[in-house]
Amino acid sequence: MDKKTNILLVDDDELYLYLMERTIKEMTHNIEINSFTDGEQAVEFVSICTKEKKDLPKVIFLDINMPFLDGWGFLAEFRKLKSKIRQQINIYIVSSSVRESDIKKAAEYEELTDYLIKPIDRKKLAGIFTRAYNGE
Amino acid sequence: MRKRVFKIFAFLYIPVFILSLYLLLSQKEEKTRLLSEYQKKDTSIKRKYLEDQFYSFVNNTQYWSTLNYPINFAPLNEHSSFMSPYLEIIRGITDYDQFRFLDLEGNEFFRAERTRVNSVELRPLQNKIEHNYVKNGLALKPGQIYLSQISLNRENGKIEKPHKPVIRAVSPIYDRTGKKMGIVVINFKMKRILDYLKLRASDNNIFLIDNNQNIITSSKYQEDLPYEFATKNTSLKDIYTSTDNGIQLDTTYFKNNHIWTIQHINLRKTDSSSSTLSDDSLEVVTPTNWILAQEVSPSMLRASLLPIYEGLGLFNFFAIVLLASLAYALQKNRLQKELFYKELEEKNKLLTKNRDQLLENNLFITNMNHRLEIRNEQLSEFNYLVSHNLRAPVTSMAAVMEMINKEKEPKNLTMLLPKLGQVTKSIMNLTEDISEYVTILDNREIKISDVNIIDLIEEVKKDFTETLLDNDSFEVIIKSDAWQQVLFSKFYLRSVLHNLMSNAIKYRQKNVYSYILFETGYEDNKKVLSVSDNGIGLDLKKHGDNLFKLYKRFHRNISGKGMGLFLVKSQLEALDAKITINSKENVGTTFKIIF
Repeated sequence: MDKKTNILLVDDDELYLYLMERTIKEMTHNIEINSFTDGEQAVEFVSICTKEKKDLPKVIFLDINMPFLDGWGFLAEFRKLKSKIRQQINIYIVSSSVRESDIKKAAEYEELTDYLIKPIDRKKLAGIFTRAYNGE
Repeated sequence: MRKRVFKIFAFLYIPVFILSLYLLLSQKEEKTRLLSEYQKKDTSIKRKYLEDQFYSFVNNTQYWSTLNYPINFAPLNEHSSFMSPYLEIIRGITDYDQFRFLDLEGNEFFRAERTRVNSVELRPLQNKIEHNYVKNGLALKPGQIYLSQISLNRENGKIEKPHKPVIRAVSPIYDRTGKKMGIVVINFKMKRILDYLKLRASDNNIFLIDNNQNIITSSKYQEDLPYEFATKNTSLKDIYTSTDNGIQLDTTYFKNNHIWTIQHINLRKTDSSSSTLSDDSLEVVTPTNWILAQEVSPSMLRASLLPIYEGLGLFNFFAIVLLASLAYALQKNRLQKELFYKELEEKNKLLTKNRDQLLENNLFITNMNHRLEIRNEQLSEFNYLVSHNLRAPVTSMAAVMEMINKEKEPKNLTMLLPKLGQVTKSIMNLTEDISEYVTILDNREIKISDVNIIDLIEEVKKDFTETLLDNDSFEVIIKSDAWQQVLFSKFYLRSVLHNLMSNAIKYRQKNVYSYILFETGYEDNKKVLSVSDNGIGLDLKKHGDNLFKLYKRFHRNISGKGMGLFLVKSQLEALDAKITINSKENVGTTFKIIF
C-alpha cells in the first residue's frame, strides 16, 4: 500500500477508544486512526477534511450516546456534507445498546453500513477492513 | 291516608248527593203535584155529586110547587082523595124524611113522616112559625126555592137519636086560582149523601163546611154536624189554624206540608148546559154557602213520599258504600303508584350513583394507566441506563483483562493496569447515579404537602453564592400573582428548582445582566410554573430529543455530569407533573412545569 489509509473512531468512552486503537495497531500499522469523544468534534474533522480536500476516512465507527452531539446528530450533519464527498465511506454504528428502537432507527439511514454491538473482536474488525479496502 | 280517601270520596259523592237532592225535590214536587191533581179531581167529582143532589132536591121540591092545589086545600079531610096518589109518590121517594104543608101562618096542615124505609105515616100537626126555614120560606117569591142549613133532626127541641142529618127544602104552593096558600117543606135525608162524600180512595181528609167553617161532615169524624152537640173540633178553624186564607175562592194549594183543595158548591149556575137537572127559571135561596175542602195531611204526604225517601236513601247508601270503596281503591292505587315511582327514582339515583362511581373509577383507571405508562417509560429508561451504560465499562474491562492476560512485556502491563482503575471508577459513578435515579422511581415514600413556592425559591436561592453577592449580576425574580401554593413533594420540587437555577447560572451569558424569572399561572385549569432565563440557550433542533436524557451535555466549555435535567424530568414525572422547554441560542431558555 502506498499511502496510509485512515479510519475514524467516535466514542465518548475513552477506554474504548484506547482499546480499539491498541487492537487495530496490533493488527496493522498501515491504518491511521483519528478518534474523537463526541459527534461535534467528529463533524468538525470531517468538514475540515472536505474543505481541505484531504482524504476522508474510509471507515467510521460511530457511537450513539455522546455528549454535545450524538451519533444521530453526527449523521444529520454528515448528510449536509455528503454532496461534497465522492469517496465511499463505510459508517458503522458501534454501540453497547441492544435496544430495538436504536437498531430500527439505524436501519433508516442508508449511509450506514452496519450496526455493531460492542465488543468488536479482531475477526470482525479484519472483516470490516478487508471489505473496505478490497472493494476499492 | 284516611284524610285523602275522604277527600276523594267527598269529591265523588258530593255531585251524587246534589243530584239525589235534586231528584228528591223534583220527585217530591211531582208527587205533590200529582196528589194535588188527584185531590182536585176527587173534590170536583164530589162537588158535582153534591150539586147534583142539591139540584135534585130543588127540582123535587119545585115539583110540589107546580101542582094545582084545590082552593082551601085540606089534604087530611075533604081533599084526602086528591092527596092519596101523591102520598104514594112521597112514600116512593126514599130521600124524603118528612113532607109537610104549612099555611101562611106557619101552621102545618099536612105532615107525613117516614117511619121505615117503605112506610110513611101521618103525624100530628105543629106550628113552626118560629123556625127560620118557615120564615124564609114564606118570604119566597115565585120561582124561588129555599134550601136550609144541613142540620141534625130534632124532635120537640131535642136532637133525634141516632143522629139524622137533614136538609130542608122549601117552596111556595099555590091553589088553582094561583093564589099563594102556603109552603111545602121537605126534609131530605142527608146521611147517604154525607157518607158518600166521606168515601175516599186515599187517606185524604174531606170536609164539608159552611160559611163559618162549621163542619157539616168530615172523614175525620164518625158523627156529622158536630157543632150541634159538641164543643170541641166543630169548626175547621179549630182544627187548622192556618186555613183562614184561601177559603173564599176555589183553589188548590200547598202550604206547610198540607195540600189543600177548596171548592164552593155553586147552586146559582149560569151555565145551564152543565146540568140537565138545573132550571134557569129557578133561584135557589140558601142561608149559607157550602164548601168542600180536602186535605192531604203532612203525615199522609210523608207516607206517600216515603218510597221516594227510601229509594233515594238506599241509592245514597249504596252510592256511599260504592264510592267509599272506590275512593279507597283509588287512593291505594295512587299510593302504590307513588311507591312505585319512589322506588324507580331510588333505583335511578342508585344507577346514577353507580354511573358516577364508574366514571370515577374510569378516571382513576385512566390516571393509573397514564401513571403506569410513565412508569413503564421510566423503567425502560432505567433498563437502558443499566444495560447500555453498564455494558460499556464492563465490556471494556473484559477487553483490558484479555489484553493483560496476553501481554508478556511487563512494561506494557503497567500501562494497562491504570485502565482497570478507570473502569472501576466509572462503574462506581454509574452505580451512584443509578441509585439516585432508583430512589426517584421508587416513589412510595414521597411526602406530598402544600408547598409555598415563594418560600421554596427563596430557600433554593441561598444554595448559590452568585445570587447572594451584590456585585455578581444575577437576579432571581418571582411573579406569583396566579398562585403561591402547590401540592407537591417539597424535596423533589426543591431539587427541580435547584437544578434549573443551577443551569441558569451556569449557562448565563457573560458580561450581561442575567436573571431567572419564576412565574406562576394557569393552563387548562392546571397550575403552571414557568422558569425563564436570558442565558445562552441551545439549538432545540439539534438537541431537542436528548435534552432530558442521562449523560447528555450540550456545552463543551462548561462542566457538568449530564444528569441535571434527567433528574428534573424524572422527579416531576414521578408525581405526574410534566416539563417542556423552549429555547433559542443566545436569547434564553424557558422551562414550563405543568402540575
